Amino acid sequence: MLKIFSIDLNHPAHYLSFGPFSVSAGNLTIIISMAVLFLIALFLPFPNHEKTTDEKPKSQSAKAGGKK
Amino acid sequence: MKYNRSSIDPSKKWSGPLREYDLVKEIVIAVVVVGFLALSLAALFSSPDEKALTMQSWATEAPADFVQTAAGELAGTTTSASYGPPYNTNGSGQNIGPVNLGKIAGVRIPIDPAKSFVIEPLSIEPDSVTKSAIATWGAASAKQEIEWASAYADALSKDGKALSIADPTGKFGPVPTLVTSLFSMAKSGALDGALTTSDTNLPTNFTKPLLFLADSGTYFPDKAAAQHLSGDQWGVMNETGSWPGQSWLWLYSLWYQIEPFKSSGNADILVMSLMGVLSLGLIFLPLLPIISRIPYWIPVHRLIWRKWYQRKS
Repeated sequence: MLKIFSIDLNHPAHYLSFGPFSVSAGNLTIIISMAVLFLIALFLPFPNHEKTTDEKPKSQSAKAGGKK
Repeated sequence: MKYNRSSIDPSKKWSGPLREYDLVKEIVIAVVVVGFLALSLAALFSSPDEKALTMQSWATEAPADFVQTAAGELAGTTTSASYGPPYNTNGSGQNIGPVNLGKIAGVRIPIDPAKSFVIEPLSIEPDSVTKSAIATWGAASAKQEIEWASAYADALSKDGKALSIADPTGKFGPVPTLVTSLFSMAKSGALDGALTTSDTNLPTNFTKPLLFLADSGTYFPDKAAAQHLSGDQWGVMNETGSWPGQSWLWLYSLWYQIEPFKSSGNADILVMSLMGVLSLGLIFLPLLPIISRIPYWIPVHRLIWRKWYQRKS
């Protein structure tokens, strides 16, 4: 069943060369994906991360109070 | 805002804004998402399943290269025969300035290619002709052994395709018999077992077959080059087939592509030392005079914490 959806990568890779630099298509895909993910993480607003407050969270306040 | 490190009181309580952060929840989400991605990608792309290169595949696919290398092992002219530490004292190893780490460590895995790759494996062969050839080889002087083996290795290399050369005058001594017996042993698959179990009964130490294979004139280098795995092809960061490889090793690979590392006989130790220095630079980055200013010139942290800096301004 899984075979139907599998992609066979067991064949010679395609390489891109620029002067002394050489990179396989597979490696380049991973490097570009990582850069894109970094940019997404940088600019996409993270859900529920708007709660920054000037007040202490309840659990922290209680803990701090308890210590006093 | 610039802080003077020495003026910060570590006992002073943080008086700035706080926010709640559910670490356990985020770890669970990360594990689930990464686990799902890993399983999905593994099901979709599978993984490399390249067949291992063996003595048997070498003798079958490149028989002339095998017999030439075997004769070279007896003559002591192969790479492993002149490698130096940790295998023998026939080479000087790699230096960085006056330091030679190989010599400091010494010979830790003693290997005499003629004995380890040819004579010892053949000694388990029951064939009387082979036993007689081993006895003749063992009784000869080291000088005589090298003369026989060098003459045979040269004759095989000169022919290029021959698996054995006739010896009507006896100038090759027992070498043709030894090489032909080793070739038969390799073709049958017995040599793979003999090389991995010559030290222990468990076939877990592949040092000898790997060194022998690496001495190959064309078979092993051609296989590596076809898969872009050679050092001068950025091979450290490549994988067999079309799978992505170890792209995070790009900086290690880079040095091997440029001078003076590319043509240096000490490339490995030079590259490792340079990477060590660069790693120390990364560790002590905040203390380095010019480098520590980079975040002020390229303030990526201000982009990550932009809301905080917006409110501050």
